[in-house]
Amino acid sequence: MKVRKKLIRTLAPLLALGLLAAACTGGDDADEPEFEPISEVSLQLQWFTQAQFAGYYAAQALGFYDDVGLSVEILEGGVDIVPASVLDSGAADFAVSWVPRGLVPREEGTNITNIAQVFQRSATLQVSFADAGINSVADLEGRTVGNWGFGNEFELLAGLRRSGLDPDSDIQLVQQNFDMLALIDREIDAAQAMIYNEYAQVLETINPDTGELYQPEDLHIIDWNDEGTAMLQDALWADADRLDDDPAYYDAAVRFVEASLRGWIHCRDNTEECVQIVLDNVPTLGQSHQTWQMNEISALIWPSPLGAGIMDPDLWAQTVDVATSEGILASEPDEGAYRTDIAEAAVANLRDAGIDVVGNDWERIPVVLLEGGE
Amino acid sequence: MNAAKSLGRAWLPPIAAAAIMFGGWELLLALIRPDGFVLPPPSSIVGAVAEKFDVIVTATGVTGFIIVTGLIAGVAVGAFAAVLVTAFRSANETLTPLAVAVNAVPIIALAPIFNAWFGILSPRSNQAVVVVLVFFPVFINTARGLGQVEPSQIELMESYGAGKWRIMREVRIPNAMPYFFTALKLGTSLAVIAAIVAEYFGGRQDALGNLITNSAGLTRYDEAWAAVLAGSLVGICLYAIAVVLERLVMPWYFAARRAA
Repeated sequence: MKVRKKLIRTLAPLLALGLLAAACTGGDDADEPEFEPISEVSLQLQWFTQAQFAGYYAAQALGFYDDVGLSVEILEGGVDIVPASVLDSGAADFAVSWVPRGLVPREEGTNITNIAQVFQRSATLQVSFADAGINSVADLEGRTVGNWGFGNEFELLAGLRRSGLDPDSDIQLVQQNFDMLALIDREIDAAQAMIYNEYAQVLETINPDTGELYQPEDLHIIDWNDEGTAMLQDALWADADRLDDDPAYYDAAVRFVEASLRGWIHCRDNTEECVQIVLDNVPTLGQSHQTWQMNEISALIWPSPLGAGIMDPDLWAQTVDVATSEGILASEPDEGAYRTDIAEAAVANLRDAGIDVVGNDWERIPVVLLEGGE
Repeated sequence: MNAAKSLGRAWLPPIAAAAIMFGGWELLLALIRPDGFVLPPPSSIVGAVAEKFDVIVTATGVTGFIIVTGLIAGVAVGAFAAVLVTAFRSANETLTPLAVAVNAVPIIALAPIFNAWFGILSPRSNQAVVVVLVFFPVFINTARGLGQVEPSQIELMESYGAGKWRIMREVRIPNAMPYFFTALKLGTSLAVIAAIVAEYFGGRQDALGNLITNSAGLTRYDEAWAAVLAGSLVGICLYAIAVVLERLVMPWYFAARRAA
């Protein structure tokens, strides 16, 4: 089985070059693939183009996808795009989605499965101004607490309950827009923020008291990774039925994950180059913001102790625990909710090529944020 | 006995219609079994109401406050403006075009702007949307009622030496009452719509609008429907109150109609 996969992998680029005949050269050799390898796939992102997806853009721009015989169409996400639904409808072959937002539709009958857990940590923070004196989750009592709703609030709700607060009565939850104005205008005491986006947006804003940008010491953060209610975020999802029924799709999934991880590894080691690749794809915010984001995204991935993309069973268990205790999921997801065979095959191939798939030595590069993230 | 009979005659048809509608809905879904997000059966919506009762009651209270206060303010401002434009020609020439212009603005689209003016957490930002939306039908209808008076009635009053305000009080306002109540009844449903949609643009999450969007966003459609149900109950209650008020305020109107 393993040998066959490897053979397919070496054959694939040839096929992609247009050698249709390759599929017909089969014959008596039992190791010959009995399917025509897929050469074109699409990937549905879950948000607008930004460094959050740098690994995929890098794999595309640097030819890593070409190297494994794939041409990948990257579909930008947006506020109202649900990657799991796009994947389920067949409009995309693979999708990037947070774990809970993949599991909820799965429980409703959408048969998708997590094939690579790219981000090994949660990026969600609750940010407040230092002078508000919110040093712990318990300090949120009696405060106005912003969040984005739509499933982004579960870590917060679970964190509140674990600190003995009732989200329905002990605090005032506020529907927050995807910006930090409500916090900056002091309308709310604590705002939800991704460390790679909205948190940086505060640091890209002029503090009227000083005339300079807000500094990290002006802010307090609650990091759900430290509070034990973090839930796994960006993962690659695939159509579970198709993986079982279509060997060509399975094969393409291994190649796709391998090249995507190579993209992420490249971005780990070449932050500035990947920022430029993202900028070439015209994100909304500028260079200093994307550089900050690339740093923080790498921090979510590296180190990956088990190897990039391979699910950490403890973090999966924590995610499921929060999801079930918060009533996000009615019951624990079944066995097929994630699988590691595809990521393991991809990581093995990368290891064979002498590539570091753990990233213990990774460090942030220095970045100076500019007003408005320019 | 007779009263009970007539009450039964009045209530039986709508109750039967509702029973047939909800029963058919439940039965149809049991037969064709679509995915839950297409349409949950009434039983699971009722189940969601029971399960999330506290949350829904709180949300109904929060949004209900916006609806009721906004409705009262909108009706008061609309009726007052109608009296003004009827009493003073100059007010008519300035206020009416302005009111028409305000009505042409897609008022719901103002919600994010009001959020910026009054603050996302202030009830005033959502109340303002309700007030602006309710104002126009009340203003236009009441002004028409105040204006459409038989000239002979005015002449009669004038021949008695009645002044402008006495004519207003004794002829115009009673004449405008049916128009006003029609507008009030329209206003009740407009107020519910305005308050819930205004909440879609942010603000406290323990309100019906955010409950609906968030539940739907999490594919919890039974909870979203339960919140919709709570919103329509508020609307129905307000409508019923308007009908009762109408009967209390203008007994002569219904007496005249019954006699006819």
